[in-house]
Amino acid sequence: MWSDTLLILFISVVTAFFGEGLTWLMVYRTEKYQKLKSEVERQCKKLEKRKETSGESVALKNTKKKLEREEEKLKTNTRDLSLFKMRSMLAIGIVFTALLSIFNSIFDGRIVAKLPFIPIGFLQGISHRNLPGTDYSDCSFIFLYILCTMSIRQSSIQAERKYVWTSSTKHLIKGGDDAH
Amino acid sequence: MGGTKADPATTSFSWSKVFTRQSEWSDKDEFLDIIYWIRQVLGVLLGLVWGLIPLTGILGLGLFFVTNAGLVYLYFSSYHRVDEEEFGGAWELTKEGFMTSFAGFLVTWIIVYSGMHFTEQDLQPFS
Repeated sequence: MWSDTLLILFISVVTAFFGEGLTWLMVYRTEKYQKLKSEVERQCKKLEKRKETSGESVALKNTKKKLEREEEKLKTNTRDLSLFKMRSMLAIGIVFTALLSIFNSIFDGRIVAKLPFIPIGFLQGISHRNLPGTDYSDCSFIFLYILCTMSIRQSSIQAERKYVWTSSTKHLIKGGDDAH
Repeated sequence: MGGTKADPATTSFSWSKVFTRQSEWSDKDEFLDIIYWIRQVLGVLLGLVWGLIPLTGILGLGLFFVTNAGLVYLYFSSYHRVDEEEFGGAWELTKEGFMTSFAGFLVTWIIVYSGMHFTEQDLQPFS
């Protein structure tokens, strides 16, 4: 029985790419985002360089204050960047919820796969959602869809981290990225 | 740097190093990335094998945890002989990408198991 499972896998791949496409359209492509990102990168490099060159003189009150001011500025910009991303993620989240409810109604009450294990108590509520009978090895659409999405989305985020973010900024953005 | 993409010189390196014993990993993130992707491939492969055999129940799940963690541990400790402490200890390396790998494993396991051993009639007895 391949058709339903492969269809669900296909749906989650398409929605994951759709989500990434939407993120690109609403976030990465925008001028504001590009500007903020290059600003953060520039400040990161500047700060690193200053920390290296100041070395021993960091003990001096003046240098220390200057460094602190720059760090504060960088933090503000990073926060703005995360906030900008978060707003778009919220919009994307709403689109995804709508899509999920459509697919949910299509597969409602349908056993899409047979689980090779019996899920533990609280997971049975998802894996056996809206299914007839008491055979808990029956798998509902939502369970398989969540698993597919967990796997595909997380990997696409990992790839994005590697290829979109430069090494100087990815440590700073990492925290904000985990949210989406 | 400065563009939207990472420098190709720093991203194309990895694949030659992956299969070279005791490679030098100056960038910690680079090695963690390798561990992450190896684990994803391993998850899918194990799911495929488990579904074909088929392995079921707690035995299948337990064997996955042991095989996945064991093979990755052997890879970084024996094959590359990395200093675990540099990466925050063996636990950090062992759990890198574990949940995603587990999700990938479950998806493959369920799809192959259902596809190979059940028919439409087995799944829809109420229709």
